[in-house]
Amino acid sequence: MRLRHRISGWLLSAMVLIMVAFILLPVFYMIIMSFKSGAEIAQNPVGLPESLNFDNYRNALSKMNYTRSVLNSVGITLSVTVLVSFIGSLAAYPLARHTNPLARALVLLMALGLSTPNFVTITPIYVIFRDIGLLDTYLGLILAFTALNLPLAVFFYTGFIRGIPIELEEAARLDNCSEFRIFWHVIRPLLGPATATLSLFVMLMVWNDFTYPLLLLTDESKFTVMISVYRFVGNHNLSPSDLFPAAVLGSLPLLVLFLFFQRRIVSGVTAGAVK
Amino acid sequence: MRTLRRYRIFLFTLPAILVIGMFFVYPILLSLRLSFTDFTGVGIASDVGWKNYERIFTRSRYLDAFKVTIFFTVIVVFIQTIIGLFFAALLHRLPAVRNLCRAALFTPAMMSFVIVGYVWQFIYSPFNGGLNAALASIGLDGLQHNWLGDPNTALFAVAFAHIWMFIGYTTAIFLAGYANIPSEIEEASKLEGASNWQRFRHIEVPLLASSFTINITLSTIGTLKTFELPFIMTRGGPDGATRTLSLHIIDSLFGKYKFGFASALSIIMLILVVLVAFLQNRYLRSREENT
Amino acid sequence: MKRFFYQSLPLVCAGALLASAPVAHAVTLEVTAWKGNDSEPAAIPDLIKKFESANPDVSVDFSYISRTDTDIVLPPRVQGDNPPDVMMTDMPLVKVWGDAGLLAPLDKGEWFDRLTPPVQAAINTGDEIHIMPLEVIGMGNFVNMDLLRQVGIETPPITIDALKVACTKLDEAGIKPMLFPGGFSAPLYVIANGLEAAPQESSALGSGEQLFSESEAFIGTLETFSDLADAGCFDPEIQAGVDPWSTALSEFKAGNFAMMAQGAWNIASFSEAENLDFVFAPIPSSKESGVALDLFGIGWSIAAKSDQPDAAKRFVEFFTDNDNLHDMLVAESAYSPFVDGQSGVSQVAAPYDAARDNGGTIMFPFSVLEWPKPLESEIFDSMTGYLLNLDKDPADVLSRWDEIIEDQ
Repeated sequence: MRLRHRISGWLLSAMVLIMVAFILLPVFYMIIMSFKSGAEIAQNPVGLPESLNFDNYRNALSKMNYTRSVLNSVGITLSVTVLVSFIGSLAAYPLARHTNPLARALVLLMALGLSTPNFVTITPIYVIFRDIGLLDTYLGLILAFTALNLPLAVFFYTGFIRGIPIELEEAARLDNCSEFRIFWHVIRPLLGPATATLSLFVMLMVWNDFTYPLLLLTDESKFTVMISVYRFVGNHNLSPSDLFPAAVLGSLPLLVLFLFFQRRIVSGVTAGAVK
Repeated sequence: MRTLRRYRIFLFTLPAILVIGMFFVYPILLSLRLSFTDFTGVGIASDVGWKNYERIFTRSRYLDAFKVTIFFTVIVVFIQTIIGLFFAALLHRLPAVRNLCRAALFTPAMMSFVIVGYVWQFIYSPFNGGLNAALASIGLDGLQHNWLGDPNTALFAVAFAHIWMFIGYTTAIFLAGYANIPSEIEEASKLEGASNWQRFRHIEVPLLASSFTINITLSTIGTLKTFELPFIMTRGGPDGATRTLSLHIIDSLFGKYKFGFASALSIIMLILVVLVAFLQNRYLRSREENT
Repeated sequence: MKRFFYQSLPLVCAGALLASAPVAHAVTLEVTAWKGNDSEPAAIPDLIKKFESANPDVSVDFSYISRTDTDIVLPPRVQGDNPPDVMMTDMPLVKVWGDAGLLAPLDKGEWFDRLTPPVQAAINTGDEIHIMPLEVIGMGNFVNMDLLRQVGIETPPITIDALKVACTKLDEAGIKPMLFPGGFSAPLYVIANGLEAAPQESSALGSGEQLFSESEAFIGTLETFSDLADAGCFDPEIQAGVDPWSTALSEFKAGNFAMMAQGAWNIASFSEAENLDFVFAPIPSSKESGVALDLFGIGWSIAAKSDQPDAAKRFVEFFTDNDNLHDMLVAESAYSPFVDGQSGVSQVAAPYDAARDNGGTIMFPFSVLEWPKPLESEIFDSMTGYLLNLDKDPADVLSRWDEIIEDQ
């Protein structure tokens, strides 16, 4: 009986593993195809490449401005994370500790921000940026991404600060500290884990977002990785020997990061959703 | 004095209010304002009254885009929730492979829409795409199809790529819900001799109500806004079969230079998204309370 | 440590994002175009080198931007303070940007008097001119002569009747006769045949004076789709959704189809294919000549806010020289916009040339602003939809075109 139970457990595990492997097929397919020449793909669209041939990669790297765009993405991510975590945690502190009509109104405002599609605001943002000269600047994109991530950050930090025992602040209040000093010296040092999870969100979004940089950036030296990929592939009539290496290069950094931090990323993203 | 002090702390929210004001509130108001003009994105705008809105409601193509958007959302949300629940229920029973599979399923979500769009576009391509070639190599030539070129399958093909991308999300959220089910309940039902299916149907599904709410709400909002996949894979074709509202907005903005009209479309879209999110949330929450 | 990290982070980012200023050359001229990349070089890289050696004080910074991306990328730049100095444009762009004062007016130099009448009329609509035309290029029918000879046909079909005969023979021999994607080839066929048969000027249709849905010429043209399908020319449902810009090109190049309507800019790329013996012929029509659908699709414009107006002018002038322009025309297989300019079209396009000489020329109505640009994508969409269901009433299909005209 026990044995039968165990065998059926193994069988089920094997079955699930096969299904999961099947779901990962397109990822493997992308990697396999990136080593094939155009002619090889035309003759044999499925199946392994004849040899590990890095010509496609050499070609893509020479034309894609890859390093520069990775640096752009990283720089923008860091800047957005700093801004979002500061502005977001600052706003979350009073919301976590007080309930009054004003707080409720603010929560509603954040909820509006959370559910507004990019498309509703992209036209006016484009026009505003044009008028104040923020089009095609890092600053403009950083501010736009900050705004996009802020509502989520506020909710996230509010939930997190509610979990911090209030006694810590009470002690500081008795010492007649100003509210800001309490926030800065008591609350802020405890926000590390929340900020770490939040920065994962920001990273995913900045790295993968397509709409904003597509419409707000025009100077090639400022492109994020995704726009470099899009321009590179689109300008070569979607030829597979350009498309696949560019796709691999575009997803590689995040996939490698995911290999190392998968547990944290999955639980972080889930926790963010569940809160 | 004390009330003043209590409200003074809300100065902390000022930077956030400024950012939200500049990037959400003001743009929405400006959109509303622009939607009554014939603004082309360059030069000066002049008022045209309700003309843009009248266009939207008297032209079947916008109604079609509306239908495409809703239909796409329904397909994705429904299938994604079902498959995610299926994987979560299995993995919950298989602790040995749970974390490995959870991570593996999550991998596609690490890729961007642009890349997923390009890769799947190639997989679907008619003459030497991976899917048709794979079908041929296992002797199923009869099933070969121009997946993105046929309006009857194009939307499903795009939806499938979308589901593939986010299935890991749904599974992970359901698994988190499973982790919150008290183990006593599980043990008790096992002692009662309930079968796997009975436990799933009568204990787990009701207890996962809040996970359902989160999953359905998240994927609905995410899908309603969808733009990148159809933009990359089909550009809205064939003949509008995958042209969602957001694609119409982009088309009107760039190439047609109709900023005023695009603003009107985006206001309609905002109303749609807020309405759907609100109704859905109310319904799901009330169900949660009834279980 | 942690505190130091937080405080220094913004500084680090600012440092990382500050791009180093480019080293100053005498004058840098920024030029953008949707030609000049690997797949359609149009001799632009070579001509830029030639220009730089003739003008040692100017260095050209060239970037390729596809036509679709042009609408997204350039408007913010021409409205901002750092537009490219010289941009490749076409008439739809000139209309929007020129009307908004974003393009510099060009002097009507001696080159203006040398323009062929249709091109001169097209650019000379307002008080000022904003574009220096570069080429007129053919849109016609690519015909794989190898495949036609296999069924005993020696000349490319240029009438609808000859086309049906060819289709039937090819189809019986197991050769796929036509690539007819709804996204480009079918629209070319419809526009060419509709305008050829229509008694009105094409501008009357573009202004809404004459409805497409009431035009016998266009209704009749759509009705021929069923005849062609019956003659075995194509399986409409399979053709409808084929991508005319990637899949279709590689399929014709691989010799899998006998005929395809496309633009002459593909001649160079098709000529690279070994064992592909093809000609560029007019679009088959009901007249004896067939239709040579001429596209005036590209020119140079100078941004109103260019800070190098003199160098920009010199760059544009450089292309008004027939010898310089000829290199581009040869690479493109295009005709000169000037009456005294030599065409760059090779022997491959002899049938198309013949059609032009026999009065079969029709200017592509979008490229001379006779039809509004938004109609173009609607035609592509509606032809795709029509191919997927040929039972639709042609008048209903065409009423979608009228809607767009009405929306202008």
